[in-house]
Amino acid sequence: MVNIYGSIDNMHTPLFSLKDVWFSYLGKIPALSGVDIDIYPGQKVSLVGANGSGKSTLLHLLDGLIFADRGSVSFLAKRLEAKAFADEKFDREFRRRVGFVFQNPDVQLFCPTVKEDIVFGPLHLGFEKNEISRRLEKIIGILDIGSLLDRSAHQLSVGEKRKVAIASTLIIEPDILIFDEPTAGLDPQTSRKIIDLLVDRSLESRTVITSTHDLHIVEEISDVVCVLGQKGRIIRSGQPGSILSDADLLAENNLAHIHSHRHKDKVHVHEHAHSEHHSQE
Amino acid sequence: MKDNGLLSFLKDSLFSEECALRGGLLQSLDPRIKVLGFALILVSALLARSIGFIFCLYLLSLCLALFSGIKLGFFLKRTWVFIPLFSLIIGLPALFSNFTPGEELLRINLGSFSPAISVSGVLTFSLFVLRVAATVSFAVLLSMTMRHFQLLKVLRIFGIPQVFVMVLGICYRYLYLLVEIVENTYLAVRSRVGAGLHYRAGQQVAGWNIAFLWMRSYRLSENVYMAMLSRGYRGQVHVLEDFKTGLKDWLWLIFTAALIICTLRFFH
Repeated sequence: MVNIYGSIDNMHTPLFSLKDVWFSYLGKIPALSGVDIDIYPGQKVSLVGANGSGKSTLLHLLDGLIFADRGSVSFLAKRLEAKAFADEKFDREFRRRVGFVFQNPDVQLFCPTVKEDIVFGPLHLGFEKNEISRRLEKIIGILDIGSLLDRSAHQLSVGEKRKVAIASTLIIEPDILIFDEPTAGLDPQTSRKIIDLLVDRSLESRTVITSTHDLHIVEEISDVVCVLGQKGRIIRSGQPGSILSDADLLAENNLAHIHSHRHKDKVHVHEHAHSEHHSQE
Repeated sequence: MKDNGLLSFLKDSLFSEECALRGGLLQSLDPRIKVLGFALILVSALLARSIGFIFCLYLLSLCLALFSGIKLGFFLKRTWVFIPLFSLIIGLPALFSNFTPGEELLRINLGSFSPAISVSGVLTFSLFVLRVAATVSFAVLLSMTMRHFQLLKVLRIFGIPQVFVMVLGICYRYLYLLVEIVENTYLAVRSRVGAGLHYRAGQQVAGWNIAFLWMRSYRLSENVYMAMLSRGYRGQVHVLEDFKTGLKDWLWLIFTAALIICTLRFFH
């Protein structure tokens, strides 16, 4: 498949390439300092890190919503900067290929009804009306949200809002999907449904980039994990097994879980660093 | 509880779409035709000079409310809150002969000042109050039987600029979130200090709230804009039109058109 940005069939060309990327808010509050990362087509990448480690900032940079102070962010060798997005053709093509699901669904659902929210993307990206209707039917079926279409966002539960936010991105059918904390604040069952969706066969060939601090889901949804440290720097990246079994790495970066159990009068507190089951494999 | 009660009232009256979701006569009409019909009725009420005719229009609004599944008591409460507000203060002077000269009906003795109520004054006042009652009733009826997103869609169709309608829709959407934030903040304050907050401390809390809300809404607006950009927004608004008209809609339009013709022919 060839387009104005070159071939994406080439697995050796990174989709996203970040070289020594620095970003700070208001020029004062550092969020990222010297991030280097390459993301290849079809990869499932998880960005893990504690709160405030710069995960969301990194995702916003990948989606061309903010731009690096220093260093370069490239998409198929084209630098992502304000100048590039001023070109309507590039903007439209990029938005068709990169879908972003925000952490807070209230941010993403701004239309009067769920239906209008879902079709907002396709309408603004110039899809044909018939095609929009076809995709709408399809996405309603996948996410089972037919009964929500005429509702306003404020009439939905948090889980429903999350589903609709995902639908509003999936309907664009982008090659690359970016999820910012997809399971944050959800009850276990809804969280499970969202994870099932992330590992669904229909997304198999797509590139999925997910930020999370929920280590339980990392192994299931990713084949590459990048750990962001407190200073907005990628500390380590590798396969989920090797990252999750490194108890020191997780503890240093506030990612180790602390569990406590009550046995009669005694409370046992211990760290759970995913190392046990990996060492048994 | 007062502040919270006020917020709950605001939430209920602004965001409750319970009536609009009922399966009544007005709810079943195509929103475009319904708005057009209501506009024609309102013009009729404004142009008509016959008290009897305007009274009939008022009765029509009550009948339509009943056929749309709205309880009469509830509807009267909702409308008569506004009617005195719009009519009494403005219309009251018209009762007196100083403003509407005519045959004297009643003189009120207030010492050196004794104003007289004239017959023509009473007629003018009655016409005015009835007109307000009829127009307010139809306006309330329209808002009660129509979901807000339909109203926004109709505004677009009637030529209101898309960006303006979109901003209006986003305001409506996020007003709910902001009301919720204020409500939760008040609850959080109450849970810590109880109901007996000194008014000075209350003022301080209100001040913090305003600042906090401003920051939250600023941040929210930035994020919403990013979410719009992410899905291809470039300053032009595109919407999906999916209204359908049926026989009932055309009958409604013919009825309201006949009403305005009648007004112009016989009651203007």
